[in-house]
Amino acid sequence: MPPPADARREEFEREALPHLDAVYRVALRLARDPSDAGDLAQETMLKAYRAFHQYRPGTNAKAWLLTILRHTFINEYRRAKHRPETVDVHEAERFTVFRDVQDADPEGSFFAQIVDDEVLRAIDALPDEFRETLVLSDVEGLTYAEIAEVTGVPVGTVKSRLFRARQALQKRLYDYAVEMGYVRGGGA
Amino acid sequence: MTAGTPLDCREVVDRLYEFLDEELTPDVQRAVRAHLMACAHCFALHRFEDAYHRFVEARVRAGHAPPALRRRILGLLLTERDPGAS
Repeated sequence: MPPPADARREEFEREALPHLDAVYRVALRLARDPSDAGDLAQETMLKAYRAFHQYRPGTNAKAWLLTILRHTFINEYRRAKHRPETVDVHEAERFTVFRDVQDADPEGSFFAQIVDDEVLRAIDALPDEFRETLVLSDVEGLTYAEIAEVTGVPVGTVKSRLFRARQALQKRLYDYAVEMGYVRGGGA
Repeated sequence: MTAGTPLDCREVVDRLYEFLDEELTPDVQRAVRAHLMACAHCFALHRFEDAYHRFVEARVRAGHAPPALRRRILGLLLTERDPGAS
């Protein structure tokens, strides 16, 4: 016999609702618009509630919710509002920023001068699959295995996307820092 | 790779983000650490990437769902049909 509605709801509020902040943060980076992110987060929580009988207590509720969020985003939001990305993640060279600054600022102290909003703007300019991988790792702290589960790709793909996303983001933030005069660019 | 095999610079650089994310097996994690202690160039790169990683995390980990959204969802759950009763 299923538990009464109140017990079911209380269990959902205890297991799933604490992850609303994470769901909203990821929704914001996927949708890149606060109003869409709110709708997306709300829809995710409602879908999760309706499917709550499929959730096995004790398993990773956050990864389960983020999987629902991602499907909802892909099926209902991504097609509606496609924004062109501006960050190139296909560069072949690695660690070029370190090469440029290793003499002038080897500890990367110029990063500290870059404000939150600029970092978020740079993340939002990454292509979808790289953005979601970086956000799940660096914003939400998921393991590679959890990211693979949420995004439905092998762990090797997670690794390579994460590497390219971080390097592309780093390059863009470095270019911004050079432009703002926080660090001298060009390298040796 | 067997336990205790030293890694060269390329092998360490290839695994740098996995090392920082603590995604390597304990043996490989130790082998990378041993190389970093012995190689000034890899150590400098590691320190730079570590600083960058911590900078990004510090900039993006804050942020909460708006209280109005939380209230709206709680309200919707109350009006939602019991998902267990079908």
